[in-house]
Amino acid sequence: MNEVEQLSAPLAIVVVAAVLVVGVYVSSVVDVVAFRSVAGQRLRPGSAALFPARVAHRLSRQQSVRTERPDMILRVLAPAALLGLAAAAVTVIPLSPGIVVADVGTGIVLFGAAEALAIVAIFFHGWSPNSPFALIAGYRFVAVALSYELLSMFVLIGAAIPAESLSIGAIVESQAGLWNVIRQPLGLPLFLIVSLGVTFSGPLDLLDSNDLAGGGSVEDSGMQRLAWQTARHAMRIAFAACAAAVFLGGWHGPVLPGGLWMALKTFAVIALLGFLDVFVARISAERFVRVAWGVLLPLAFLNLLIAGVGAL
Amino acid sequence: MIDVAFVVFSVAAVASGYGVFRVDSMIRATYLLLASFLNVGAILVLLLAEYLGVALLFMMTVEMIVMGLFMVMFMMNPAGLNPMNMVHQPRFAAAAGVVAAAGVAVVAVFADFPVAPVDAESATTRELGIELLGGSMLVFESIGVTLLATMVCSVILSSATGRFGDGYEGSVAPALEPGGDHRPADDLYDPDAAGGMDMDMDMGDMDHGEMDMGGMDMGGMDMGGMDMGGMDHGEMDMGGMDMGDMDHGGMERDS
Amino acid sequence: MNLMTVLLVAAALIGVGVWGALAQQTFVMLMMGIEMMLNGVILAVAGFWAFAGAGLPKGQVLVILSMAVMAIELAIGFALVTAVYRARQADMTEGIGSLKG
Repeated sequence: MNEVEQLSAPLAIVVVAAVLVVGVYVSSVVDVVAFRSVAGQRLRPGSAALFPARVAHRLSRQQSVRTERPDMILRVLAPAALLGLAAAAVTVIPLSPGIVVADVGTGIVLFGAAEALAIVAIFFHGWSPNSPFALIAGYRFVAVALSYELLSMFVLIGAAIPAESLSIGAIVESQAGLWNVIRQPLGLPLFLIVSLGVTFSGPLDLLDSNDLAGGGSVEDSGMQRLAWQTARHAMRIAFAACAAAVFLGGWHGPVLPGGLWMALKTFAVIALLGFLDVFVARISAERFVRVAWGVLLPLAFLNLLIAGVGAL
Repeated sequence: MIDVAFVVFSVAAVASGYGVFRVDSMIRATYLLLASFLNVGAILVLLLAEYLGVALLFMMTVEMIVMGLFMVMFMMNPAGLNPMNMVHQPRFAAAAGVVAAAGVAVVAVFADFPVAPVDAESATTRELGIELLGGSMLVFESIGVTLLATMVCSVILSSATGRFGDGYEGSVAPALEPGGDHRPADDLYDPDAAGGMDMDMDMGDMDHGEMDMGGMDMGGMDMGGMDMGGMDHGEMDMGGMDMGDMDHGGMERDS
Repeated sequence: MNLMTVLLVAAALIGVGVWGALAQQTFVMLMMGIEMMLNGVILAVAGFWAFAGAGLPKGQVLVILSMAVMAIELAIGFALVTAVYRARQADMTEGIGSLKG
């Protein structure tokens, strides 16, 4: 179908902005709660709720460090592009039975394209400051990202098979009887691995990691740092929303309205990603590349086979 | 609206295509090529080939990521910090480009093509899917087999221990003695090979099981150059240390 | 937006590609020129399909074939560049005079 049901442009901007702002705030709170609980420092709920605002306030007043001969265009482009791609990814995800910003006919391929371009934006983040650790981090990230890139497309296509359509709205509707997490059990774990990778957290925390003294963010301070962290959380929101829509049944649910179910499921995935970020140790890049090409990719094919057999 | 978008995308595609061969920075060249492809993908979506446009976006992104890595590998000035102009036969090439473009343009302007526009209401993606697995199944499967052959070929052509030369020669430090082997350890175990770090420090044999660092002010210390790789930190007592200004990575969780 | 304008854009892309492929000395830039040419070809084929092909599905298959050709050319091209570099230490077109050996 070339007919796309879509919201008007101002309403679309408001919806996407609301989703991202609320989502980034919630994701930051989850992040710091998870981290502090592992570090043994309990946060009072009040200070946890205000934490992102305090960090934003502090970073916005911090001096921005400039390196020698950075690639300024790419340095500015990296967080802006990542944020824009997260917004683009959110536009194709149905937020409730009536609200979807643009349910294009090839929504899932568009989501995959946004993910691939996110890898480009993250490489820019590592390349642009003209700094050795940042460059190493960027290259390491690209090596790992090329490995899980294919995984994401195969599991998303597997979820599209029972829906007989590439639009995420149709995929949500096809889960009216049974959620995809049950009839394609391999899909959600593989997609969560991809989410962890693209938001460089948990076992795939290879970009801005402590073992490279901050990695791609080693030269970031002030607004640059704030923008990058915001973009990273926005990407996490986009992936969590997609996981909730494609694997966890989207807005389907018994008693509460659809939009609330979608919010709850997205929050559950964000909480899961946030806690995996802190609780799972970093895997070395070489090891993960071997695992991804040798084990996870065959599992993705198996998932596709299960989906195909289920569709017969 | 569509015409305006088409003009914007096409101008951007040609401009970024021209910029590919003009900029000094290789990464910018690669991603300008990506920008050109993204604009062509957008034009394809405007032409109602929706799946093809988005698939082009997706495919070209990953291709350009790989191309960027190769550009940095093979080009002498990857970051464009110095101006560079590596062209040969510039005038002939420019003339050839103009002739090629003119040839196609002449066909475009003067040829008489049938007018049979695509139906805006048709489900082009669905029809493509049915066609690929139906009437054009042979084409589809041939593409698949060709891609498999390509994968095998490229692995053979670039295999590290292959017939075209030693793959490790340029990427590892030369051996300390001439004639020594310099292959990486997981390929060929050689205890005398260069590449492992020689920690010629006094601290080599010291057991740091209970290193007491009490009272040390690490206010501004730069720990960059110190390699603590092989030391055993079993029970390092860091009591009394003032870690006021040190950036301790994870503690603040500045997210 | 009609067939003529789409083909003119494709012509411009093909022209830029030919210029780039013939002017550049290094292999990877040469390949970028070839990619530009294929870019123009894909646009032209899609234009024909949209305006003169009545949306026949086989036209889309031709576009997919062109995209596959592009991917294959990129893969083999880079493998060849690597192999040539290892065998002859040449990364520019002036570096190899003949393909013998």
